Amino acid sequence: MATLELKGIQKSFGDVNVIRDMSLDVNDGELIVFVGPSGCGKSTMLRMIAGLETVSQGRISIGGRRVDHLPPADRGIAMVFQSYALYPHKDVRGNLGFALKHAGVAQAEIDQRVNAASEILGLSEMMERKPRELSGGQRQRVAIGRAIVREPDVFLFDEPLSNLDAALRVHMRVEILKLHQRLGNTMVYVTHDQVEAMTLADRIVVFRDGLVEQVGTPLELYRNPVNTFVAGFIGSPAMNFLQADAKGSRIHLSQSEICTSHIGDGRVKLGLRPEHLMLEENGAIEGTVSVFEHLGGESFVHLTLPDQQTLVAKLDGELSFKPGDTCRLGIRPDHCHVFDMNNIRIAS
Amino acid sequence: MASKDVDSVSPSSHEHRTPVRWYILVFIVPATLIYTTFAIYPIIESLRLSLYQAGDGGGMFVGIANYARLVGEPYWAEQFWNAFKNNVLLFAMHMLIQNPIALALAALLSIPTLKGAATYRTIFFLPTLLSVVVVGFIWQLILSPLWGITPAFMNWVGMGSFFQPWLGLESSALITVTLISIWQYVGIPLMLFYAALLNVPEETIEAARIDGLNGWWIFWKIKFPLILPTLGLVGILTYIGNFTASFDLIYSIQGGLAGPDYSTDVMGTFLFRTFFGFQAQLGDVYMGATVASALFFIILIGVGLYLFGVQRRLQRYDS
Amino acid sequence: MIMRERITSAGIHAILIAYSLLALFPLILIVINSFKTRKGIFNEPTALPLGKTFSSDGYASVLTNSDFPLYFGNSMVVTCVSLMLILLFGAMAAHALSEYEFPGDSFIGVYLILGIMVPIRLGTVALLELIVDLGLANTLTALILVYTAQGLPIAIFIFTEFLRSVSREIKDSARIDGLSEYRIFFEVVVPLVRPVIATVAVFSMIPIWNDLWFPLILSPGEETRTVTLGVQQFIGQYTVNWGAVLAALSVAILPVLVMYVIFSKQLIRGITAGAVKG
Repeated sequence: MATLELKGIQKSFGDVNVIRDMSLDVNDGELIVFVGPSGCGKSTMLRMIAGLETVSQGRISIGGRRVDHLPPADRGIAMVFQSYALYPHKDVRGNLGFALKHAGVAQAEIDQRVNAASEILGLSEMMERKPRELSGGQRQRVAIGRAIVREPDVFLFDEPLSNLDAALRVHMRVEILKLHQRLGNTMVYVTHDQVEAMTLADRIVVFRDGLVEQVGTPLELYRNPVNTFVAGFIGSPAMNFLQADAKGSRIHLSQSEICTSHIGDGRVKLGLRPEHLMLEENGAIEGTVSVFEHLGGESFVHLTLPDQQTLVAKLDGELSFKPGDTCRLGIRPDHCHVFDMNNIRIAS
Repeated sequence: MASKDVDSVSPSSHEHRTPVRWYILVFIVPATLIYTTFAIYPIIESLRLSLYQAGDGGGMFVGIANYARLVGEPYWAEQFWNAFKNNVLLFAMHMLIQNPIALALAALLSIPTLKGAATYRTIFFLPTLLSVVVVGFIWQLILSPLWGITPAFMNWVGMGSFFQPWLGLESSALITVTLISIWQYVGIPLMLFYAALLNVPEETIEAARIDGLNGWWIFWKIKFPLILPTLGLVGILTYIGNFTASFDLIYSIQGGLAGPDYSTDVMGTFLFRTFFGFQAQLGDVYMGATVASALFFIILIGVGLYLFGVQRRLQRYDS
Repeated sequence: MIMRERITSAGIHAILIAYSLLALFPLILIVINSFKTRKGIFNEPTALPLGKTFSSDGYASVLTNSDFPLYFGNSMVVTCVSLMLILLFGAMAAHALSEYEFPGDSFIGVYLILGIMVPIRLGTVALLELIVDLGLANTLTALILVYTAQGLPIAIFIFTEFLRSVSREIKDSARIDGLSEYRIFFEVVVPLVRPVIATVAVFSMIPIWNDLWFPLILSPGEETRTVTLGVQQFIGQYTVNWGAVLAALSVAILPVLVMYVIFSKQLIRGITAGAVKG
């Protein structure tokens, strides 16, 4: 149980700055998710917290204790890896108890903690099996169990679910969430999957090119993304961005007024989430259907607007369109996101 | 690496500058030391010795005079060019006989429906593992008129009159030794081809089948181009083996004089005689080093051609 | 259609069986004749050693009246010690090359595998001088050192390729568990490379066991002769005693055959895996 503080962290490999300047306070018991495209520095940041990479500049504290000069084992952390990183020559019990044994913990204590962890994760039946005899999901459980038995202050997860198939991923996501509720530890979770980030996180940190774009709760990021990058990254299907004209604080798309905004005359980027677009007889947005995708409960309409811009709308599954049909859509003004031409949000 | 950045870090970071990672040295030094001392240093030292001649109480620097003698002075040049020619013949015969046989057997083995492929594979590779001394002697016995296995066999198939003591005849000794060498070493290119053939994606072959190609054409039009890089690898391995490892077999079968009348002399046996002397001829360290170094350059040229020519051009078929 | 396939298949098997016989026949011939009397060897070379022709005198004279047991021991010592050094130092170097970044790492990586392309024999002249200077002429130590140097490049190459394909995360995980770098090597990396150890071992062992060149040059002495050199010399001395010669050949083949039978799967898998990369 501990807080985690990152202050002015910088990291460079040679001339490449992987993390440019990062500060973050993680509260005790918080589940924080680092999300971003690959190569954005999120994994490097996690590895610095773990002590697997040195920090070029800045300080890391766990529970108020400065740890950036300590070896990984002394930082009070445990880490779950993408490839599970189980020891192939040890059985499940051996894998779970390895760190404790190495640390010289008494056998009785090891047994007790290993059994407790295996209980939590439902591994009791397979304690004598080797990793190669386990399925992907079971290996992942062992990897998590190995972290649990160490009773760390902070759990670190490095894309733990990306080697699992889609169905299992959803299942394990729920398991991790339950585990967090049960243990109440501070957790840092790295993923490139925005759905995982949205469902798991207390707060999300969005990375891009070694910089933090935005920190906030999932809903804050969804509702008030600070720029087009965050707006496009959070939410699926991704937000539509359209070139629009601002005239006298009114935003026009192909001559139709969509919403208002405090901005002088000029060009802006209008962000519209597919799920916020509605079929409306007098809707302000008119376009020609180019592709219609039916998913059963819902459908996606791909529209081409008169000025050749394209747009996707998520609509009711009862509808049916053919390519070439005309379609009119509307949107509530408070669902419109307006960005300037530098991709920065303009407060409405 | 990032040393400059590390030094310019805020003052507080002095307390945790990365310590010297001694363990890297511990891991890397033993191998590097043994390898440098007993593999690299001797080769470099041999190259150096090849530039010297025996003088008063030690070597005398003579530049490339030894190489000039090797290719110019009749006594050396005759032996050198003879050995070189035999090596080139050996290489050519391996490329023309051994590697096609290997490719053919590998092609048969890689037929997906073939039963017992593993057994065949194991048997074909077996002779490769044997000592050349043993192989050489076995074949000497088998081909010997004294024991009579081969004459008897040839009588049995009705070709008895063609039998000759091939190893003892100047005209046929080299080809006979080559065939023995092929018998022993065909397993290596065979395995390399086999692996490459197995590596041809099944989908590519199925696509060819849908395009209407049959077994034979699939091999020539699809598989063969895809395994060309392996052909290059086999070529260079054959080349290196011919110029160095051929010593063992010829020394075992024909002795250091590589008889009859030097008809099977190769660079390896020539080096051995030059260095240690044989019968009337005295050993010469400097000429020995020169022969070895000449061999080094011959191999270097081959490897260079392979790396910068053959392999690069063939790479485009890869992946 | 089915008929034609059957004929094709029979033809393919005929070719493969014929080649199998060609590969095996000389070996079988040696082994069966090594169990025969002199008369049996000459009169019926292709018959099995049964009844009157059976004799193990050849083996008796090889094992008792010659130094063969000594040669055998020498070969064992040289092969086993070299092998252990190659595996240990090779795995250590490969671990360093695949795990750590350090100044000159790529240069050392290339340097250490150069020996695959440049045969160590080319340095024989200077090598002999070096061995003599070190006082190691006619010792098994000389052979061990040279074979270790010879075997390291391919071992390092195979181990490095393998270790690069193994996830780094497992070593990071051990680091988080608090293991020192040395213990990570011995407790995590060594068990990890176990699958390729057999491949490297067979690859390294065969050329060492079979080598004629270095024993002939570095340690030709009676006391330090290896089996291969011993057989070569023995053949020269005892051409009259065919039974003994054939028995000697059989004895020299034996350990290699045993190794091959045990490890042929790994060996062939190793060659095929390596070939794919090559």
